[in-house]
Amino acid sequence: MSGLTVKLRQPPAMRLDLRGLIPSRLAGLSAADVERLALNTELGPVTVGEVFAVSGAAGDTITIETGSDRLDFVGAGLDGGSVIVDGEAGAYAGSKMTAGRLEIRGGAGAYLASAAKGGLLVVNGSAGDFLGGARAGERFGMAGGTVVVLGSVGARAGERMRRGTVIARGSFGPAAGSRMAGGTLWTEQGFGAGPGPLMRRGTLIGPSADGLLTTYADCGRHDLEILRILNRYVADTLGSLAPKPLPASVRRLAGDAATIGKGEILLVT
Amino acid sequence: MRVNGVDIDDTFAEAFGMSATGLVITADTARWARIAAVTMTGFATSVIGCGAECGIDREVAPGETPDGRPGVRVLLFGFSPDALLPQLRTRVGQCVLTSPGSACFNGVESPQRLKLSAGVRFFGDGWQTAKKLGGRRFWRVPVMDGEFVCEDTAGIVTDAVGGGNLLLLGRDRAGLLETTEAAVAAIANVGDVITPFPGGIVRSGSKVGAKYKGMIASTNDAFCPTLKGAVRSELGPDTIAVLEIVIDGLTSKAVGDAMRAGLKAVIATGAAKGVTRVSAGNYGGKLGQHHYHLKDLLP
Repeated sequence: MSGLTVKLRQPPAMRLDLRGLIPSRLAGLSAADVERLALNTELGPVTVGEVFAVSGAAGDTITIETGSDRLDFVGAGLDGGSVIVDGEAGAYAGSKMTAGRLEIRGGAGAYLASAAKGGLLVVNGSAGDFLGGARAGERFGMAGGTVVVLGSVGARAGERMRRGTVIARGSFGPAAGSRMAGGTLWTEQGFGAGPGPLMRRGTLIGPSADGLLTTYADCGRHDLEILRILNRYVADTLGSLAPKPLPASVRRLAGDAATIGKGEILLVT
Repeated sequence: MRVNGVDIDDTFAEAFGMSATGLVITADTARWARIAAVTMTGFATSVIGCGAECGIDREVAPGETPDGRPGVRVLLFGFSPDALLPQLRTRVGQCVLTSPGSACFNGVESPQRLKLSAGVRFFGDGWQTAKKLGGRRFWRVPVMDGEFVCEDTAGIVTDAVGGGNLLLLGRDRAGLLETTEAAVAAIANVGDVITPFPGGIVRSGSKVGAKYKGMIASTNDAFCPTLKGAVRSELGPDTIAVLEIVIDGLTSKAVGDAMRAGLKAVIATGAAKGVTRVSAGNYGGKLGQHHYHLKDLLP
């Protein structure tokens, strides 16, 4: 594995847009070339070298040392290889990524994996609001790929999400699966208040849910074949990151009847 | 030439290019997976009369199936993808969907795909939903014992081979059948092939055409023992029965391997059971793209 390492010279005084720092965009560049690249910030453009000390050579991995919650769009558009953030990441991390692996060893901000279409995104800490959600002006949120959050997730995760799988070892905040059109949100700890408002399609899986909406119908306990497939899929693709296999029998709640009602909340206890 | 007391004709089997797809059918138990597979591959001996040639390739262990349940892999062969598609849909819809606890997955890896779920998913009458995991989409169709899950597409290959064959001739009908069964069992251990006829065996080999208008095939009189004195027979005076094994495979190599395995089984014990000769069916080599010479397949 070859790679480039960028290290913050000091905690950033402004928000930085790192969307260009992905292996495919830096292929063939030397460390000096990378230092001359422009970065957008909220205070105007700067060069990579002004903010980061760059070492190594461009390859299939980029490591961002000493992360910060002011580093936005980390791994955005990632289409292969790996981006590792050895610390916190800001908003929009992994947005529009299509392949590869983004690993954030701290927490992540809002809109993680927004409009992502593929790849694997791992957050060792917790993630902010609107994980996999649609940004302003976009029709859908996450459209593919897998996100694993070892901590908890903020509010309205999966907002208008279309496809893909999000797994949280911790809990999801309020209104997870809001206006969801497809995909899977899976928590090992439970959902916050009112999961699935206006959910059209998709699956929410967890041990509990606070304040279930009255527009969800209890369909009883069932042995669902799709959960065996999901168990096998996450075990094969995530290895040690995979959550505990789901039990054979789950309680199925269908909704949201306030819209077309083809979504479901599966309670595993 | 004679090998271990069995004459091997200096001839070849002539086989044809076909399109093929495959499914892995799973169920709660291996028994129910096999019931669904057997039902789905019924009435599928000859592509001419049945629309497709189908059979069970092998059992699939729970560790290999997408849902961790026991499964059976079936293969379907047809003249073309367009000809195979309605067969696939009808058979899945009538035989797999209806079988208790079943699920249906792609069984052939190929970039060319057939729309496996089209048709059967609409049985859900609007309640069907899809779940895409990685690159695979699975349809969930509500049914009376829960949900029927069917993968969205199945791979199809257009360079498959149909019509590999062995003709076994004998002087004892019971011994010939026993030996042919052993050959079919040996072929079953070869992957990516099926023997689509009843028990893998054909007793009514055919020739092209007939004296009757509209018949595209008729009995292979040259290999009918009761006509030995009446037609230009291919049979010696001691032959009283002939059985054929027809083999379809996803690749030419698989068909060759299967014929080799069958031939080996026949040679091993055939003479003692009254098998006198092994031949193969061909059309002079001008119709089929694939030729399997028996002398090249000897163990």
